[in-house]
Amino acid sequence: MNLLELKEVSKIYGTLKALNNIDLSVPKGEWLAIMGPSGSGKTTMMNIVGCMDKPSNGSVILDGVDISKENPRSLTAIRRDKIGLIFQQFHLINYLTALENVMVAQYYHSLPDEKEAMQALERVGLAGRAKHLPSQLSGGEQQRVCIARALINYPMLILADEPTGNLDEANENIVLDIFRQLHREGSTIVVVTHDPEVAEEAERIVVLEHGKIARIEDNHRGEQEEG
Amino acid sequence: MFFRMMNGALLRQKGKMLMIAFTIALGASLATAMLNVMLDVGDKINQELKTYGANINVVPKEASLLDDLYGVDERSGVSNKYLQESELGRIKTIFWAFNIVDFAPFLDTKVTLNGAVENVELAGTWFSHHLDLPTGESLDTGMINMKNWWDVSGDWITDAEEDSAMVGSLLAGRHQIAPGDVISVAGKNGQKTLTVKGVFNTGSDEDELIYVPLKVAQDLADRAGLVSRVEVSALTTPDNELSRRAAQNPKSLSIKEWETWYCTAYVSAISYQIQEVITDSVAKPIRQVAESEGAILEKTQLLMVLITILSLIGAALGISNLVTASVMERSREIGLLKAVGANDFPISMLVLTEILLMGLLGGVIGYFAGLGFAQIIGHSVFGSAIDIKPMVIPLVAVLVFLVTLAGSIPSIRFLLSLRPAEVLHGR
Ligand SMILES: Nc1ncnc2c1ncn2[C@@H]1O[C@H](COP(=O)(O)OP(=O)(O)O)[C@@H](O)[C@H]1O
Ligand SMILES: [Mg+2]
Repeated sequence: MNLLELKEVSKIYGTLKALNNIDLSVPKGEWLAIMGPSGSGKTTMMNIVGCMDKPSNGSVILDGVDISKENPRSLTAIRRDKIGLIFQQFHLINYLTALENVMVAQYYHSLPDEKEAMQALERVGLAGRAKHLPSQLSGGEQQRVCIARALINYPMLILADEPTGNLDEANENIVLDIFRQLHREGSTIVVVTHDPEVAEEAERIVVLEHGKIARIEDNHRGEQEEG
Repeated sequence: MFFRMMNGALLRQKGKMLMIAFTIALGASLATAMLNVMLDVGDKINQELKTYGANINVVPKEASLLDDLYGVDERSGVSNKYLQESELGRIKTIFWAFNIVDFAPFLDTKVTLNGAVENVELAGTWFSHHLDLPTGESLDTGMINMKNWWDVSGDWITDAEEDSAMVGSLLAGRHQIAPGDVISVAGKNGQKTLTVKGVFNTGSDEDELIYVPLKVAQDLADRAGLVSRVEVSALTTPDNELSRRAAQNPKSLSIKEWETWYCTAYVSAISYQIQEVITDSVAKPIRQVAESEGAILEKTQLLMVLITILSLIGAALGISNLVTASVMERSREIGLLKAVGANDFPISMLVLTEILLMGLLGGVIGYFAGLGFAQIIGHSVFGSAIDIKPMVIPLVAVLVFLVTLAGSIPSIRFLLSLRPAEVLHGR
């Protein structure tokens, strides 16, 4: 069953077609990577799937709901209930501690639950830094707080736009480990990346060029690991 | 969580937030000062205008008739009807007794001065007369209060100084009389030697008069216990259509209108009430003064309303700039909150609560500063303290609330239009 389906999706800015007739299906539990040169429409696509933008044409079915037809209020609700967003920049609220930053997402979702937030931080290996302010954390640690925040409401779809773009190798590996773990647990993950090593981890790679899908590569990772 | 976030935002943008509070404080202080002065200014201006003299003249009915029919000045000695001195205390017992600021009786008579042939006018009056009222209260009233703008060389006299007199400057000039001189006056009922304690200059025809204590004039004219007229200075409400109709003919009013009129401090209503308590009297408003009082009062209040409105608009504009800047500075944070699923309403509430908190802080500071301003205005403009009216507190609170809300509108609009996709991907 497909969790996400894009049908003839276009996004037009003036004369520029940032997305041009995209058709794409993402089955539940898949780990998908999106690659492509800068300006090829990767972020535009993530914004549309992430309910932060609407396509000019076409429909986007997420969990059986056509989100291209929803009003901003229900888009906010869908984003809150079904999607976990991770950005290239770390976007933490800098006067709140790591723990509180995670709890903000709980606050707008349901109720802040300190224990649960703490468990989320444990999952990304930051239990010991819960009381630190973002300025007291390294870049990798900040991104892990962002991941903990994205995971706190058990989203069915995780959208990450260049999550490792600002990280060094060591931190990149930590983040990838978290993704692997999430994938094993059955989460659906869409990762935009420039980095072939990151893309390699995914089951499928969609390559965008000029707003169109240039090709889709299947990664038979299981076979490669065996070989 | 809400408070934790608000706290954080307030602390981080301390400078901006304090500027917002300061701007609100400025507006609130002006509004407080103006409202307090405005609510108090009716009394203040009336008291100020009172110095220009009495606004009600009480004369005997017959004198009034003669005056109306033949245009005869009752001071000329033609009229021989009088009011009873013993009834004067009743003026302070009428419905609007509290509005009667001062009054003084006069007994006008003609005397010869220092044996000269021509007659001069002499008036007996109260200078500062102590009255015990039937109500048990007491008051001191008379010329010294009512004519406090007089330019007196020498001294005012007191009612007890029955061998003393005050002489108008024109008369004194013609007869070369200076303070300290002794004059002799002769009336119908004998002759008296008086020491001139003061020479006064009023710029009016009173400068031709000799003023003595009432008792002295009554003896000279053989009119014991009588007075020929009373001047009353009363605080009045500006005239309107109702009071003008009543002044023409009180009987033309319906019972309800009549009650409204009677229970309002119109100069005509106060005059009417004086007539009710003084036997055979006619009380007439000295009209021009009474009307200009109302007009000046209304204009001054209008001016203050305008200043208040302008200062509040200024404050609203000021905070709208500051708040918008503060929200723009936080657009990334607000975009993030939207991205993690916050609706417009809770985010707006967060920002509004912050600003209203600053409004509260600024409003309280501004209120107390405004009380100070009001006193400065009171002392520099009216030469007296301004009464603090408690009703200004809710008024200022509502105004600050509205101004703060109005000032937040542009920032809330910005906040609502902010799209997380645009602020979260560093383009
Ligand atoms: N809000 C916008 N207005 C106009 N053009 C835009 C806007 N957002 C993106 N674009 C354009 O759309 C194209 C795709 O952008 P984007 O999706 O950010 O690319 P990528 O993330 O692959 O680098 C670019 O040419 C970009 O300039
Ligand atoms: Mg991008």
